[in-house]
Amino acid sequence: MLSYILRRIVATLPVMAIVALFVFSLLYIAPGDPAVVIAGDQASPEDVERIRQGLGLDRPFLIQFGSWVWRILHGDLGTSIFTNLPVSTMIGQRLGPTLSLMIITLLLTIVIAVPLGVVAAWKAGSLIDRAIMGFAVFGFSLPVFVVGYVLAYVFALELEWLPVQGYTPLTEGLWPWLQNLILPSIALGCVYIALIARITRATMLEVLQQDYIRTARAKGLGQGGILFIHALKNAAVPIVTVIGIGIALLIGGAVVTESVFAIPGLGRLTIDAILRRDYPVIQGIVLLFSFVYVLVNLMIDVIYTLVDPRIRY
Amino acid sequence: MSQSLLSIEDLHVSFSTRRGMVEAVRGVTLAVEAGEMLGLVGESGSGKSVTGFATTRLLDTAGRVTAGKILFRGQDVTKLRGDDLRQLQGAAMSMIFQNPRAALNPIRAIGLQIADAILTHKRISKDAARAEALDLLRAVQIRDPEQRMNAYPHELSGGMCQRVMIAIAISCNPALLIADEPTTGLDVTTQKVVMDLLADIAAARGMATILITHDLGLAARYCRRIAVMEHGRIVEEASPKTLFGAPRHAYTKRLVAASPTATSRIEDLVTAEEWERHAAVVSNARPPAAHGTPPLLEVRKLAKRFDQGSAAVADFSMTMAGGESVGLVGESGSGKSTTSRMICRLIDPSEGDIVFEGQSIGHVASRDFHRSRFRKDIQMVFQDPNESLNPRFTAFDCIAHPLMRLAGLRAGKELWQRVEECAERVGLPLDLLPRFPHQLSGGQKARVGIARAIACRPRLLVLDEPTAALDVSVQAVVLQLLDRLRRENDIALLFVSHDLNVVRMLCDRTIVLRNGGIVEQGESRALFDNPKTDYTRKLVEAIPHFESGPAMATAL
Repeated sequence: MLSYILRRIVATLPVMAIVALFVFSLLYIAPGDPAVVIAGDQASPEDVERIRQGLGLDRPFLIQFGSWVWRILHGDLGTSIFTNLPVSTMIGQRLGPTLSLMIITLLLTIVIAVPLGVVAAWKAGSLIDRAIMGFAVFGFSLPVFVVGYVLAYVFALELEWLPVQGYTPLTEGLWPWLQNLILPSIALGCVYIALIARITRATMLEVLQQDYIRTARAKGLGQGGILFIHALKNAAVPIVTVIGIGIALLIGGAVVTESVFAIPGLGRLTIDAILRRDYPVIQGIVLLFSFVYVLVNLMIDVIYTLVDPRIRY
Repeated sequence: MSQSLLSIEDLHVSFSTRRGMVEAVRGVTLAVEAGEMLGLVGESGSGKSVTGFATTRLLDTAGRVTAGKILFRGQDVTKLRGDDLRQLQGAAMSMIFQNPRAALNPIRAIGLQIADAILTHKRISKDAARAEALDLLRAVQIRDPEQRMNAYPHELSGGMCQRVMIAIAISCNPALLIADEPTTGLDVTTQKVVMDLLADIAAARGMATILITHDLGLAARYCRRIAVMEHGRIVEEASPKTLFGAPRHAYTKRLVAASPTATSRIEDLVTAEEWERHAAVVSNARPPAAHGTPPLLEVRKLAKRFDQGSAAVADFSMTMAGGESVGLVGESGSGKSTTSRMICRLIDPSEGDIVFEGQSIGHVASRDFHRSRFRKDIQMVFQDPNESLNPRFTAFDCIAHPLMRLAGLRAGKELWQRVEECAERVGLPLDLLPRFPHQLSGGQKARVGIARAIACRPRLLVLDEPTAALDVSVQAVVLQLLDRLRRENDIALLFVSHDLNVVRMLCDRTIVLRNGGIVEQGESRALFDNPKTDYTRKLVEAIPHFESGPAMATAL
C-alpha cells in the first residue's frame, strides 16, 4: 500500500511538469508582447522595458521556464507585480478562508446529498423520490450567485439570523467562523448536492438490484442494515469518484461565491489578479489548484482500496 | 390429516410489466412435509423460482401474490408484515440461490456475512456470533475455516461460495430450506459435492428442502418426490421412478426425452417428425477423407501462460479432420476455454503452433487475425447468447456483419439473400430478423449466434458451452441443429462443454483436460464407458442420472 502511494506520487511528477509548462506558457499564449500585456494600457515605453528586464522576459523561453521551475522547487513562486509581495505570502494569507469554505461545503454536501440519494433509491418511484429528484434538478439549474444573493437576502437581511458578508478566522471561535460560512457553503454546495444525490440514487438503485441484496433480505436483515451496511458501501466507489471530480467544480464555484459573500479567499485573489494582469499570482494560484486536484485524485484512489477489497494496486 | 410443514394452496402470482400484468404462477398447490426433500422441476419461465420466492417473500416489487395461500406451520406467509416476516426470513425458512458468487456481498468478509444472519435472529454478542459462524464454516466443510472467515467472495471458488451460502442459510436451523438452482453453473464434480453436502445437512438437521432445478437428473438423484411445472402450473407430481418410467403428462414426456442421459442419442432428444427431416441428410454421408490429405487442424504443443502464475494450458496437441466433431471437457480452470480461444485466434498462445489446412496460423497476432484469410474459416459460438449479442444490433445486423467484413458483401440484395439463407439453415423464422436480442427468446438468440458463426461458411466451428444457458428442450433442438450443420456442410466442430452427456452424443472424439493438460482422449463412447483415469471416472460418475437408484439411496 505504502509503495503504491509512493509510486503514485512519483507518477504525478510528469503531470505536474506538464501543468507547470502550461501555467508558465499562459503569459505567452495571450496575444501580444508579455511585457506590454503586464504593463497595461497607460504604461510608457520605459515602464514596459523596466518590466521586461525585471521579469527577465528578454531571455529565451526555455531558460525563463527553467529558472522559474528552479525557483518554484525552492518554494519561491515569484513576486506580485502589483503589490510587490511574494506570491506565496499572498496565497498563504488567502488560503484559510477558501479552505474553510471548501471543507464546510464538502461536509455539508456529503451529509445532505448521500442520505437524500439513499432515501430516493429506497423509495424509488414514490412521491419522496420525485420530490428529491425535483429538488436536484432545481439545484442544478440555479447559478451559484442567484442562490447566494437570495440566501443572503432572506437569512441575513430579512431574518437577520446570519451575517451578510465577510469572514472570521477559526482562531476567533468556532461559531463566529461557522456563522460566516453557512450561507456561502449552501450556495456553493447546491449544484454539488444535486449532483451527488443523483449519483447516489442511481448507483444505489443498481446495487439494490444485485443478488446479494436479495440474500441480505433472505437473511431477515432490516431495511437499515440492507441500505447502509450492504448497499451503500458497494455503491461507494462511483459516489467517491464523483465527489472527487466535484472538487474541481468547487474550486470554480468558490471564485464566484467569495465574490458574492465578500470572503477574502483565493477566489477573490484570482479575480483581482486576473483583472490586474498580475501574472505571477495567477500562475501561483493555478499551480496550487492543479496540485490540490492531483492530490485529491490520489486520495480517491486510496479510498477505493479501503472500500473495495477487490481493488488492488 | 396431519398438518404439512408447508402447504401452498392455489397460489397465483402476477408481475406488472410494461405490457400489463403477466401471470407467472397460475394455481400451484403443493405440500412439503417436515424433513423431506422435494424437487420442483421446470424450464425457465415455468414459475418454479417465482413459487420459491413467493414462499420466502422475496418477490421483486413488481411481483404480487394475487390469490391463494402459503401456509407455513399453519400461518399464512403471504399476510405477514414487518417484524413477523423478518422473524421468519432466514430463521424458520431460508433460501439459497443460483450463482453463489453474486449472491454474496463482494466487499464484506464471509465470516461477517454469516454472522449478520445469526445476529439478526439471536441476541448474542458479536464474538459469540463469530464463533458460531466459524462452526458453520466447519459444518459446510470449508478448509482452514479460521482463515476463510476473513476471505472475500472473489477469493473463493464458486463451489466454496455456495457452501458459504449454505452456511448462512442453515445458521438459524430453519425448518425449511428452499434451494433455487443451487448448483447451476458449477462443475459436475463440484455439483455432486455441494448437493451431497446439502442432502447430508438436511438429513442431519431434519430440515425440509425444496430443490428448484431445471435438471431432472439432479432432482431424481436427491428427491423422493418431484413436481414438474409448466406455464405456472404443476403438471405432474410423482416419484422419480414413475416420472421417468411412465411419465403421464405430455410435457413431462417431452422433458424426459430432451434430457440427455448416458445412453441417449441426438435423435432421441426430439420428436419423430423433426428427426425425419434430419435423417434424410444423414444418408448422404461424406466419403472418408482421402489418404494423405493434411488434417483440417493440427495443434502442436500449445501453451498459454498468463502474466503471473503457472501455465493455464501446457503441451496441448491435437488434430481434427474436416467435418469431425471433437469434445473438449474438464472442470472450470482446466484450460478448456483458454485452449478454444487460442485455436480461434482470439488470444495468443505463449508457445506451440496452430496449423490450419497446412498453413501455420499460430504466429499471427490475434489482433491482426481478422485480416487473415482464415478468419472466415474459423468461427466461434459463444457461451451465453444473451451476453454475446450486441443489444443494439438486430438479428439481421448480427448475421450480416461478418458477411460484410469478411466476405466483402455490400448492403444489397445479395447480402439479404445470404442472411436469409443462414437464418433458414439454423431454423430462425425470417420475420424475426428485424428484431433486437431482447425481443428474442433464449433459443432464438442461440440460433442467431450460430447463424452469425456459419454466415461465412466456416470450415471449423468452435463452440464454447453453446447450450449452457439454455433449457433442455431448447438445447435438444440446438444440438440437433449443430449435428445437422456438421453433416450437411462438412463443418468441423470443436465443442467445449462441461456437460458430458451432451459431448458423448455430439462428438466423435473427446479430450479430457485437467489443470491445462490432456488427461485422456479417445473415441467418445469408449472413453465414457471405460474411463482409463480416475479423473475421467470421477467426472463421469458425478453426472446425475435418472437410473442411479443406488446413488439415490445413499443420498437419502
